[in-house]
Amino acid sequence: MNGLIPYLIIVPLLGAFALPIVGLAGRKARELWAILITGITLGVAAGLFKEVWESGEILVYTLGAKSPLGNGVPFPIRIVWEVDPISALFALMVTFIAFVAVLYSSEYMRHDTGLEKYYALVLVLEVGMLGIAITGDLFNFYVFLEIMSIASYALVAFRNDTWEGIEAGIKYMFVGSLASSFILLGIVLLYGQYGTLTMAYLAKMIAENPTFTAKVALGLLAGGLLFKSGAVPVHMWLADAHPAAPSSISAMLSGLVIKIGGTYALARLAFSVFSAGISTRTIGWIIIFFACVTLIVGNAMAIIQTDMKRLFAFSSVGQIGYILLGIGIGLAAYGSDVGQVALAGAIYHTVNHAIMKALLFLVAGVVIHQLGTKNLNELSGIARKMPVTSFAFLVGAAAIIGLPPLNGFASKWLIYESSALFNPFLAAVAVIGTAFCTAAYIRVLFTFFGRPSERVMKAREPGKAMLVPMLILVVAIIVMGLFPWAISDKVMLPAAKTLENIGAYVSAVLGGA
Amino acid sequence: MKRTFGALALLFLLGVLLVVASPSTGIKFGLGGEDWKAYRYTDQYYIEHGVDEVGGTNIVTDIVFDYRGYDTLGEATVLFTAIAGAVALLRPWRRDENE
Repeated sequence: MNGLIPYLIIVPLLGAFALPIVGLAGRKARELWAILITGITLGVAAGLFKEVWESGEILVYTLGAKSPLGNGVPFPIRIVWEVDPISALFALMVTFIAFVAVLYSSEYMRHDTGLEKYYALVLVLEVGMLGIAITGDLFNFYVFLEIMSIASYALVAFRNDTWEGIEAGIKYMFVGSLASSFILLGIVLLYGQYGTLTMAYLAKMIAENPTFTAKVALGLLAGGLLFKSGAVPVHMWLADAHPAAPSSISAMLSGLVIKIGGTYALARLAFSVFSAGISTRTIGWIIIFFACVTLIVGNAMAIIQTDMKRLFAFSSVGQIGYILLGIGIGLAAYGSDVGQVALAGAIYHTVNHAIMKALLFLVAGVVIHQLGTKNLNELSGIARKMPVTSFAFLVGAAAIIGLPPLNGFASKWLIYESSALFNPFLAAVAVIGTAFCTAAYIRVLFTFFGRPSERVMKAREPGKAMLVPMLILVVAIIVMGLFPWAISDKVMLPAAKTLENIGAYVSAVLGGA
Repeated sequence: MKRTFGALALLFLLGVLLVVASPSTGIKFGLGGEDWKAYRYTDQYYIEHGVDEVGGTNIVTDIVFDYRGYDTLGEATVLFTAIAGAVALLRPWRRDENE
């Protein structure tokens, strides 16, 4: 019944470990291998998503035994995977963006050396994110968070002959390791207090006996995960790391890493593990506070940037604010319709933002690749010479602002609506954030469609391997934009409901016990 | 200003962790008897069933290679990633190759 889950890890892991050997066959073989592996993984994730979505159940897979429970005891002793609709949805999102980014790198990374390590690291990054999405074990979550983080440190600094790559890599590594150790400390405290690492059983133990230790552990975990998601007081690494990385990597970092390792993990732990034992109202309001600061600061800082990728990076910080706002309201209004809509909006916005921000970073990569600069002041009039790229940017920018025919509209609408119903002040903050975001993107738009500068006159469109991935994402944005309410009713609301339903999460593992 | 605030935050965190680490308010140390059964039931299970279920007499290897073998696979991947990353970052610069 759930035979597909292991292949979500096996396939990319085999791809990564085999890459040094396959790489001996030359450059073409490596690229084909990476594209093939990410393609198969995408197929597996799509199959898994279909299975989970059709059955609407939580699939549980125990590693090494038939049942997660030990012989004759009521507690789980082995590592379990727990795939509910939200995990399956995010696994699909990860594999889709990773496939597009790998396809794009085959041309974009042509002038770089050390490509067999590059593809191995990209595949490992994908493994790490998929592992986080499907795991049901707290320490296993930490292991995969580390896999993802270490791969992304190395990929941020991959262009080791640029000063900014190394600087950003060092900054990201120091801050990220500190955040990881906070998370590990939180897990240590939880194990010391409750004696189990399985999330479902831990949720039951915390519900029975909520202690001060659990609150401290939640604080440490939330602190570490807010670091990883780039929420505002601790967003400085993101604004350096995303511009310095190769653009295909920025697309994965900004679209996936900060969401899977940050907001998804935060939502998973807050809802599935802690919500039965700890006041969801308090933790919800704490997240809402950070969300509001993130919204304003991230979007406002985006306006004043002159570097194109830095602008997109700050815009990512701002969009993380929306996702956190949705999760925060979902926690603070736990169990009500408003909370459910907010949570559905957050999940929807996570998927949408992954697609649009990947597209925008790929556009930025094309501009850097063709023109050799990402300074917005030198880029006026690109639209005349690179119409397809400019069209892709136009779609991405319109979607991120939330214009109605595109996918960003519905997800932002759900968040606005629920925040207005929950507390009008929060809706005002969200709208101000969007106003800043609009200003930032319109500024870039005017640059693109202005009078061509001398530098731009020689520019040409990139090759097919860079255009096709962008067009795939453009099509995804437009198609998702055509059926916004169908998607939200059929996929996002059920996903939000299963995330809220902690009883189902716990009993899926513990069964009748 | 920032440094003072940081130092105060660290001090606060240390205080909270000290409260958590004190047996009357938080985690207990040197568990035995009833406490062992209440807090370390998984460990008890591994000790009791490890030899039958896995076959090794070393409980630690039983756990890291059988019960929690997937984590070990993850750790191996971490090492692979670290090596691949270090080798990738220490490769010669692009402009050196053109010379």
